[in-house]
Amino acid sequence: MKINYRQLSILVFMSFVSLKLLALPSLLYVDSGNMSWLVALVLMIVDALYVFLILDLMKKCEEKNILEFMKKCLGPVLSRVFLAIYILKYALVIANISKGLEFFVVENFYNEFNWLVFILPLMALIGYMTYKGIRNIARVSEMINLAIVIGCLYIAFQSVGSADPTAYIPMFKDGVVPLFESGFKHLSWFGSASFMMLLFGKVDFKEEKKWTMIKYLIFAIVLVQIMYYVFYGIFDNISATHNFCISDISQFSSQESSINELSWLIVALWVVAQAVQLALYSYCMMQAIKFTFNIKNNTIPIIVVMVYVLIWSLVGENTIGLERLFFTPFASIITILAQYVIPLVLYIGFYMQNRRKKIFKSKNFIKNRIEIAPNVSVNKFKMLRGEK
Amino acid sequence: MLVDAVNTFNEIKTKLHDSSDLKSRQVQFFGTDITICYIAPITDNNLLNDCILFPMTSEQNKPKEDIANYLKHSVLSSIEVTEILDIDQAVTKLLNGQTVILVDKADKILSCDTEKITVRAVAEPPTSVVIKGPREGFTESIKYNLALIRKRARSDDLVVNMMEIGKLTKTQVAVVYFDSVADKSVVKQITKKLKAIKIDGVLDSHYLVSYLQKNPHSLFKQIGDTEKPDILVGKMLEGRVGIIVDGSPIVLTLPFILIEDLQNSDDYYSQPIRVTFVRILRFVGVVLAVLLPGIYIALEKYHYKILPTEFLVTIMNTTQGIPFSPFMEILFVVLLFEILYEANLRMPQYFGMAMSIVGALILGETAVNAGLVSPPAVMIVALSGITFYIIPSQAAQFSILRLLAIVVGACLGLYGVLLFCVFVLSYLSSFDSYKSAYLAPATPFIESDQEDFYMRKTISEMKKRPKSIANNHNNMIRRGENED
Repeated sequence: MKINYRQLSILVFMSFVSLKLLALPSLLYVDSGNMSWLVALVLMIVDALYVFLILDLMKKCEEKNILEFMKKCLGPVLSRVFLAIYILKYALVIANISKGLEFFVVENFYNEFNWLVFILPLMALIGYMTYKGIRNIARVSEMINLAIVIGCLYIAFQSVGSADPTAYIPMFKDGVVPLFESGFKHLSWFGSASFMMLLFGKVDFKEEKKWTMIKYLIFAIVLVQIMYYVFYGIFDNISATHNFCISDISQFSSQESSINELSWLIVALWVVAQAVQLALYSYCMMQAIKFTFNIKNNTIPIIVVMVYVLIWSLVGENTIGLERLFFTPFASIITILAQYVIPLVLYIGFYMQNRRKKIFKSKNFIKNRIEIAPNVSVNKFKMLRGEK
Repeated sequence: MLVDAVNTFNEIKTKLHDSSDLKSRQVQFFGTDITICYIAPITDNNLLNDCILFPMTSEQNKPKEDIANYLKHSVLSSIEVTEILDIDQAVTKLLNGQTVILVDKADKILSCDTEKITVRAVAEPPTSVVIKGPREGFTESIKYNLALIRKRARSDDLVVNMMEIGKLTKTQVAVVYFDSVADKSVVKQITKKLKAIKIDGVLDSHYLVSYLQKNPHSLFKQIGDTEKPDILVGKMLEGRVGIIVDGSPIVLTLPFILIEDLQNSDDYYSQPIRVTFVRILRFVGVVLAVLLPGIYIALEKYHYKILPTEFLVTIMNTTQGIPFSPFMEILFVVLLFEILYEANLRMPQYFGMAMSIVGALILGETAVNAGLVSPPAVMIVALSGITFYIIPSQAAQFSILRLLAIVVGACLGLYGVLLFCVFVLSYLSSFDSYKSAYLAPATPFIESDQEDFYMRKTISEMKKRPKSIANNHNNMIRRGENED
């Protein structure tokens, strides 16, 4: 079951936007102050470049799955090690989204909260969507995408009047070093293209429109930047105390003194987006488990993922603990490897292998020509072999 | 082998278990014994007289050739005279209302079409009443229904594949489509499925539904149906295949996508701007119908903080003293509404009006006055109930979904309702009907089909056939070919 190019672009868009608009803006502010938007911008542009890098690899090996592709470039052992790294990466992202979603729901929806109420229906939903496959997840994303975009823009524009542009001045007051440090520290919130690694062979590029992905990427970056502008503009030096960008912004609507009904519905929509993201990463984790351990059916990997979500929800720490987990050296290494190193290694590996093939082919060609027809020119020989 | 008229008739009689409605008439035709047999209730006596008996008894010229051949070519004035070679075939013909002519010592049996067609007049179907557009509806006769289709599609491209389904009823079923428009593999798939059906009898087209749909246990409808020839031909022009069953005024159409039920035949006869508005209204109606009671319970029970203060005060005032929880209250009103609906549907028409008054006015108002339910609960359920019938063909599915939304809203609050919505979307996204995505053209998003989705362009602007429906992709242009 394949998804089309537009659906892939929407999945990329959703993963670019979803994690960035919850706890990240307040976390970034702690380290990079009023220049947090720049850190996010640079890292999102890097992510966008990686999207194109992975896309290029996907197109070149359209029919192959990630394991076959990795095997071709790196051999069977290394490919399984790399896939195991992806399992850990997705486990981290799932932990981040599910815990973030849990706190988001608690803070915005309920006075008294029972985690069973939260986790069991969510597990049933993501289990179902994961079981149904990537096409199902992509279709649901396609359906809700527009509503989420309109919702975000509505929240941003109705609160933009309360944002103070002077909050961004002075710029670079602590220099650029803290920005680099902050970017490095929060890398795990980025790398939105990493899910694409598990979609090798799942994308149909037949009806590809050249600008679709570029449009969605630009729009995702612009949307996040608008939200950040409003968030930092409203909260300025107390930004770090506001855990949820999207819901906290809407409280500062220029028209309402408290969170109004429509904004509240949009905040509710955000829950849907997070649930679909959770299903997407669960699907990727399931696929990575399948390939790494050579499991043929989906049931066991899905059960493993669901049990992981359940255990995480049972024993998982609070948001502060979660932040700590994300900033451990182990998590950082996994993140850097999965997001930035492995795709690059694959890209280089693929091109080196192709180059070797080309050299071998051309050597063979020269040898053949000398043996078969030493007096015939290269062009004519090519013509005779039907290559030209 | 030569026919012995008397023995052959006896054999036919035995085959039909001495059925008393099998009648025969012996005649002498220039010295040859002829037995004319037919099944009385399904044979048209006038046709029998005019086309068979009268020509035979009034024939003056002595035949120079074989009697059976002479009868076939020169005497019988029926439109369809066929030669039969065995008794089983003769029995089948008799059961189809034909008259079988057994000529003594002839090498063949003859049959003439004398079928009596009992059919009600073509009328506007009660399930698809229109303000503008044709009012003809299908009847229970497959012949009449095919005639209604042929009347609208006088093209050699229209294909009608007849077959018989049902071991005992031998019901005639026709698969109709436009050869150059329909997807051949879909036609093949449908025909194969129909031919594989092993069933005693087919009394209505809906008997075939579970054989044709991929998920027979699914709540959602996966096969389209219509009672109007203009709708059927319209759908066939987009590449769909129609299945007509003798004895049923409802024709099935395949492939089916959800959006079809949000469209109406009126839409194509009205102004595009008005249609766009109405279609958006239908979308909103669907959401209200299914989710409103569930959201109301969720808000009242868990998230009352987000309600505007004035509204909250109104609700609190009206719900004070109600002995039930919001969930029980809404459930009570919903069940009451469902019971009234069922009773109203099956009740004789003259009771119907009284029932509506008793149900809606007396029961509703008394329940509110007695303090059993609050006015907002009645209003919410009534609003949801009315919006169901914006899309009557999906009302049954919506009522189940509404109940589920109520339960989820009561147990999990708005978070549950949201997850429920995603689940329904995911469920609907997962099934495709005959190479067509169920939620197309919303997902997968098909840009060219947006012209007839939530909005509608003018007929002249919709130049291509929809891609959402599996059709012949080499023949996508439906309008404007000659203009260039």
